[in-house]
Amino acid sequence: MKKYIAKRILMSLLTLFLIIFVLFLLIRIMPGDPFSVERMSAEMILQKREELGLNKPVLVQFVDYLKLLASGSFGNGTALYNGAPIKPILMKCLETSFKIGGLSIIFGSVVGLLIGIVAALNRGKFLDGLCTVVSILGVCIPSYVFMIFLQYSFAHKIPFFPYFFDPSQYLFSSIMPALSLSLFSISTIARFTRNEMVEVMNSDYVKLAEAKGLYGFQLIRTHVLRNALIPIVTVIAPLVVDLLTGAMVIEKIYGISGAGKLMVDAISGQGIDYNYVLALGIVFSSMYIAVMLLLDILYGIIDPRIRLTTKEG
Amino acid sequence: MKKLLMLALFIFASLTMTACGGGGDSGEKKLNVMLGSNVVSLDTAQATDLVSFNVISDCIDGLMQLDAQGKAIPAIAESFDVSEDGKTYTFHLRDAKWANGDAVTANDFVFAWRRHCKVSDKYSYVFGSTVACVKNADAVIKGGDEKTLGVSAPDEKTLVVELDAPVSFFPSLMCFPAFYPINENFYNNLDAGTYGTSPETFLSNGAFMLTNYLPGSVNIQLEKNSSYWDAGRIALEKFQYQVVSSSDNALTAFKNGTLDVAQISGNQVEQVKADEKLSGDLKIIPTSLLNYMSFNQDPKNHHAGALSNTNLRLAISNAIDRESLAENYAMGGARATYTAVPIDFAPNVNTGKYFSEDQKQFADVVAFDVGKARSFLEDAKAELGKDNFELNLIYSNDSGDTVVKVVQAIKSQVEKNLPGVTINLQPMPKAEYLNNVTSNNYDLAVTNWSPDYDDPMSFLTLWTTEGSEIAEHWSNAEYDSLIEACTTGDLAGKYDERWDAMLQAEKILLDNAVIAPLYTSSRSMLISDKVEGIEFHSIAVEQVLKSVTMK
Repeated sequence: MKKYIAKRILMSLLTLFLIIFVLFLLIRIMPGDPFSVERMSAEMILQKREELGLNKPVLVQFVDYLKLLASGSFGNGTALYNGAPIKPILMKCLETSFKIGGLSIIFGSVVGLLIGIVAALNRGKFLDGLCTVVSILGVCIPSYVFMIFLQYSFAHKIPFFPYFFDPSQYLFSSIMPALSLSLFSISTIARFTRNEMVEVMNSDYVKLAEAKGLYGFQLIRTHVLRNALIPIVTVIAPLVVDLLTGAMVIEKIYGISGAGKLMVDAISGQGIDYNYVLALGIVFSSMYIAVMLLLDILYGIIDPRIRLTTKEG
Repeated sequence: MKKLLMLALFIFASLTMTACGGGGDSGEKKLNVMLGSNVVSLDTAQATDLVSFNVISDCIDGLMQLDAQGKAIPAIAESFDVSEDGKTYTFHLRDAKWANGDAVTANDFVFAWRRHCKVSDKYSYVFGSTVACVKNADAVIKGGDEKTLGVSAPDEKTLVVELDAPVSFFPSLMCFPAFYPINENFYNNLDAGTYGTSPETFLSNGAFMLTNYLPGSVNIQLEKNSSYWDAGRIALEKFQYQVVSSSDNALTAFKNGTLDVAQISGNQVEQVKADEKLSGDLKIIPTSLLNYMSFNQDPKNHHAGALSNTNLRLAISNAIDRESLAENYAMGGARATYTAVPIDFAPNVNTGKYFSEDQKQFADVVAFDVGKARSFLEDAKAELGKDNFELNLIYSNDSGDTVVKVVQAIKSQVEKNLPGVTINLQPMPKAEYLNNVTSNNYDLAVTNWSPDYDDPMSFLTLWTTEGSEIAEHWSNAEYDSLIEACTTGDLAGKYDERWDAMLQAEKILLDNAVIAPLYTSSRSMLISDKVEGIEFHSIAVEQVLKSVTMK
């Protein structure tokens, strides 16, 4: 197990390094630069390029950037917010997105699992059909459309929720964006849960357990759900990252100063901010990698078979 | 598993419950003001836009401030003396305090001004010889020793400013945020680059303090600064700014009471006027934003430099029906403009008349007259030996649909009135547009300019040979020498002669059709009847909330 984890961690670090390298190159290849802004003379641009070290060879820049990362900093902005240090701003934005994302994860997985279980248990009946319709709708409707619908209905027509995100009523104004964000995960999780459970319920060992006299919730919990859970966890994990890292359009519509909006600003604001795009890219991908790593380790715990196979291999 | 599910359900339920409880607090109503875009920076040396200037001036007082009529009245300066030659200003500061308890001293101004020139950012030029004429400012901006800047603090409460030439509008210039103070000790104790990036790193000496702010944040919250020197005047305890970039969204938010003050676009005005509930809240606020068409006159231009021909430019300028353009396409209170300096801007201190009060004074060169336009065109055809002209008109299409409608109208008017002239519309994102304009890659461009200070020179300096980044590639020695005489030359101290010289310069500009003025914009504001006392200005700081009361 230890060797397995160590190997996984090493692979993850290598992946992260590769991602940083590719990101770093891509950003510099991208059209546009931090200086496509108003009222900047050619002299000023030259001076700024030198200040930011953008006149050095790309590989040298990359090594400099790695050194910066190693010192625990993301450096300063190259265009956005007049070159203020990135870390405190990034942290604030991530915090906002995390809170809303967290709420939507809780909501998405609970409701998704429930719908999936209900559908599977009522396979072929009316409830199953209803759940299928709901989950198909959920996948088809983009979350921001649902957000606009919520905003119009429950903040404009019936003015119950705030029309824009209001940081002084944090949780209250997080509900609508969290609901819209969770729409996709509810549907995905519900569909997966249903299909996996149906498959497991049709398997021989469940039939055997039934034949042995197990029934009801005990059967579902010990035999069906536990086995169905593994693929479901695989789906939930990347969803978690998606939700946590903010939603660009929803944040824009609802006026949330989160990581998604920061990303949009960094790319489409006043010139492209290399360092913000990099910092956000690194944070997003490290979260992804971390979740995947955790997942691999979790598999081992949920399903001892995985642990055993790797030991043999 | 059952327990786990129950736990998750319970957590979710309790979160939602407490959240609903939180909703109950919303009974306390605070003023909610819309901003059309993000704050670029709260650092006076880096802010470049009206939105930033607004928020900065809520929090920081300069030497002077604007009163309700837009006149400069004392703020941190209690009074000031001007030397006889008009080149030395001595400001006597009042006992004002920063929000951390420090006294506001003359040194805070010296520090901020030196820093601004040293940083040499986009707005540092306001210290230089084309605007404020602060002694040695040009040299410091170019990298000289900032200690040589003509500003000094003989004692804590006296600020002496030396100028290279008399500047008649210097006191009103002191309302402009670039000239605001920064507390030196406070600034020096911050990590590099963090000034003005959070409520903790920004210090007020003005009416309000930040309570919630992050660079780029769409919700900014402020509260009254109880240590403000004029705190008795401030009735507003708390308010917030909400950044809303879409005007449709702004209108909806105003309708449902989320926003108390909102700006809408020109084409929404009719809709609002027709709405009984809203029409009473509509206010049209005149601005000094001049919209004009820029002609690229570089003879090396890729269309064989046809536009370097004055008659062709005059033809186009006279083929445009500005009244119809303003009323039917720009809308929202836009006023057709026939001068290079916009309407209702820069009043003469002796007569009180605005610089461009007489809109007919250049009627022989800027008007809507199809006959004349065609005869100009015939001259141009003869001079250039060409019968057909194809011109590219570039404009940025990501700043609202008003400009799109305006350029379409221009195209149809010009093509209808001038047979043989074809205009190709080329929409592009703002960054690309700016890039094309600055790199000389255009024929016609629709652009606009908002003045930085209350003097015609804020516009006229745009078209000197060394002018702005939007280069028309026009150069005229007489024009340059007139502008020079009015800024640093011998006319600088003579008010009336300078005034006449500026009119003369404007005449040269329009006789040559260097640009085609189109219209002066207005802002269409929706202001809830609960809110009273917002002051609107067309220069320096767009709106002032110091006198606002809530019903």
